[in-house]
Amino acid sequence: MDTSHSDGGIVARLRDVIFSYDKQDDTSAVGDEHVDPDAREGFVLRGVDLDVPDESFTVVMGASGGGKSTLLRTFNGIIPDFIDGTFDGDIRVLDRDPTTSRVSAMARDVGMVIQDYESQLFGTSVETEVAFGPENLAVPPEKIGPRIDDSLSVAGLGDLGRTREPDSLSGGQKQRLVFAGVLAMHPDLLMLDEPTSDLDPAGSRDVLSVVSRLAEAAATEASVGDWDGPDSIVLVTHKIEEALLADHAILLKGGRAAHAGPAEEVFRNVEALRESRVAVPPLVEAFERLGFADEDLPLAVDSAVEIVNNANLTWTPPGKRDGYSPSVPAGTATDLGNPLFELEDITHEYDADGETIRAVDGVDLTIKEGEALAIVGHNGSGKTTLAKHLNGLLDPDEGVARWNGRDIRELGMSEVGRSVGYVFQNPDHQIFAATVREEVAFGPENFELTGEELDRRVARAIETVELDGLEDADPFTLSKGQRQRVALASVLATDPDAIVFDEPTTGLDAEQQATFMDLVADLNREEGVTVVMVTHSMSTVATYAPRTVVMSDGRKVADEPTRELFADEDSLAEWDLRPPQPVALSNRLAAEAGQTDALPALSVDELVAGLADEPITTTGSGGGST
Amino acid sequence: MSAASSLYVHGDSVFHRLAPRAKIALVAGLFAVALVFDHPAFVVVPLVVAFGTLVALGGWSNFRRVRFIVVAVFVVGLVVWPLFTPAGGPIWLSTPVVELTRNEFLVALGRSMRFASFIITGLLFVTATSNEELVAGLRSLGVPFAFCFAVGTALRLFPTLLGATGTVRQAQEARGHDLRSGSPLQRIRNYIPLLIPVFMTAIRNVQTQAMALEARGFDTQAERTFYGRQSLAGSDWVAVGVGSLMLIGSVLVRYVLGMGTV
Repeated sequence: MDTSHSDGGIVARLRDVIFSYDKQDDTSAVGDEHVDPDAREGFVLRGVDLDVPDESFTVVMGASGGGKSTLLRTFNGIIPDFIDGTFDGDIRVLDRDPTTSRVSAMARDVGMVIQDYESQLFGTSVETEVAFGPENLAVPPEKIGPRIDDSLSVAGLGDLGRTREPDSLSGGQKQRLVFAGVLAMHPDLLMLDEPTSDLDPAGSRDVLSVVSRLAEAAATEASVGDWDGPDSIVLVTHKIEEALLADHAILLKGGRAAHAGPAEEVFRNVEALRESRVAVPPLVEAFERLGFADEDLPLAVDSAVEIVNNANLTWTPPGKRDGYSPSVPAGTATDLGNPLFELEDITHEYDADGETIRAVDGVDLTIKEGEALAIVGHNGSGKTTLAKHLNGLLDPDEGVARWNGRDIRELGMSEVGRSVGYVFQNPDHQIFAATVREEVAFGPENFELTGEELDRRVARAIETVELDGLEDADPFTLSKGQRQRVALASVLATDPDAIVFDEPTTGLDAEQQATFMDLVADLNREEGVTVVMVTHSMSTVATYAPRTVVMSDGRKVADEPTRELFADEDSLAEWDLRPPQPVALSNRLAAEAGQTDALPALSVDELVAGLADEPITTTGSGGGST
Repeated sequence: MSAASSLYVHGDSVFHRLAPRAKIALVAGLFAVALVFDHPAFVVVPLVVAFGTLVALGGWSNFRRVRFIVVAVFVVGLVVWPLFTPAGGPIWLSTPVVELTRNEFLVALGRSMRFASFIITGLLFVTATSNEELVAGLRSLGVPFAFCFAVGTALRLFPTLLGATGTVRQAQEARGHDLRSGSPLQRIRNYIPLLIPVFMTAIRNVQTQAMALEARGFDTQAERTFYGRQSLAGSDWVAVGVGSLMLIGSVLVRYVLGMGTV
């Protein structure tokens, strides 16, 4: 391990770093008000002081739009060399001053992987992609070949054909190819900016295994091929399960480093996490509510089991506890009406490189009025293709899709589109209008709604998503979470009976996710809107969907109540799905107690209730009850 | 069924295995034959060779995707070229509206076949040449790296942009937007809700790409190396020879022997 760059055990040192994406005349008045980098106005960093230890795996967390990515971009000189704005402060990274270096020069020592893998792939083949960085650094050609082999091997892509075009790879493979391309440059500091945000659980796991391997190499001075590996890794993420891999943590709040220290301490500090709008690890939250001291709070299921046994706590599964009935997050079996969607033997095919791919293969699915249902499965399993049959965006090649008993193919978009809304994963794929009001009015206007009724619907939709006051704002200047809500409002304004959500929580921080999904749950419970969500987030499924459909290779392999589905972890593993921590812990405790027919806890509330001596009043979102 | 965005068809044919430079030489030879001769009896040769090879390499589905363009170019050429061709030879078609002489017909047919030949030969090239090979071919011909890089990046991102366009279209259709309704002017305006998100997405992507490029050490001013430059194999030299022969031979036949003209 080369530590010659380090500065007394510190790989990066920032002092009084401030940054604004727009030009500011007065750098002394940074203020305290939260500024979203999307808005590109005001100071995003407001005097950051932090040290990144050498040979460490450091995670940076904070609210969405809280300046995490902005901070990372100061490490390799993107700020202030590439992104113009207002910058001040002192930075030393690997004994160099990035503010006086070109980004391309810093690239020799600092590697960066960002969330959007499509924007980072420049080669027309796997081989040229990995070779691109070393070529830019003028590495002799005879040394590039071994670097390609080693980097692909470390990234778990050793078996991939060297001439394959990046476009033909899965999302997880593309992101690992980006990793390989950066690793081939042999950086001393590796920066990862939400590298798994756009990946399914299997793709995320593959990427994380690469990160873990590199972190281990950094900590143990093991080699990566003929290279010593990076000295240090810095990861930005919203996902707490990823953050728990790190050994050092920094929490950003209000444009400053509010808390920093060993990861085990930081992630047990519930107050600090909440202040920074970072998701509290579910087991930490549960055991804190059970009254355990901070230093005893478990971060992993194994340690939680040990604590339960040592404290002689007894696990009582939901439904078997006196005075407590398990919460049903949204919609109940007794609430449901007539079948709204009836999909019979749906098959959908498409052509890829002359090969016919059967994306959906003979799926039957009935969804009743008022139901809240999740469709899960790995990337390419057919879940989104299936969901697009619900409002006629796709027609089946075989089979029939019915809405209220009528063949959707025979109904125009003017009829089915009005009643079945579809909220796409990326709100930027639909926003085009100059104001929020115009954007929200677009749908109802297309359905020929005018006058007072149009104004009333638009106002109500904006109010429902809590964007009142921003009617005249330009949607492009809003944060990602707000743009997501604009997209939802534009669908709500058509007054739909059902809404399909495609990955509703992607890119949102813990607080934004809870706010958005609570809104969806309210629509389901109070307005009776049927909700179908396509998602990779198992915690979202556990909290908000009483019923779950699992897709695998185009087929429906499971369709059952979420609680029963999560009781069968072997099947979940077979489908590349991993349950949230409360589910995993309650399943483990039930198995150890010999409770063969026990159903798991789906939330922190239920876990606490099942371990507490007395019935506990629950506080969580998503319909928790007492 | 939706269509694939790339035209490249994987294969292991002799043509597939040729080096990009050798393919460019063969394609240039076919282009030369179609360009030099006017008479349909000569122009039909590169047309048939290109079409036959295209089909043999599995490119029929690609041809189906562009068949409307080929047919349109062919038919429009047949109608338009006689207007710009000196009349000559016997009258082959006589109607109260128009008369068509032998020369006018043969020139029009030859020109239409020439343009069809260009399209199909180009299609043959991209059917058997991956983006990677195309960029490598340009580089090996001495084209500046920055230009080759731009071509390669554009080719790689084209399917991504197409995918984003499809998603935006679906997102707007789901809100009841109908691209095909209204007057011609209204139909043009109908594309605004489609184009703005596509352009905004593209602009955001370009900013991210530029940042990611610099972070990977890309600098047009700095010294760089090139990995994987390969020399031509024996079969490549044969292909280059055939292409050169077609080019030189057609010029000689046309301009020295005076054959192949109407």
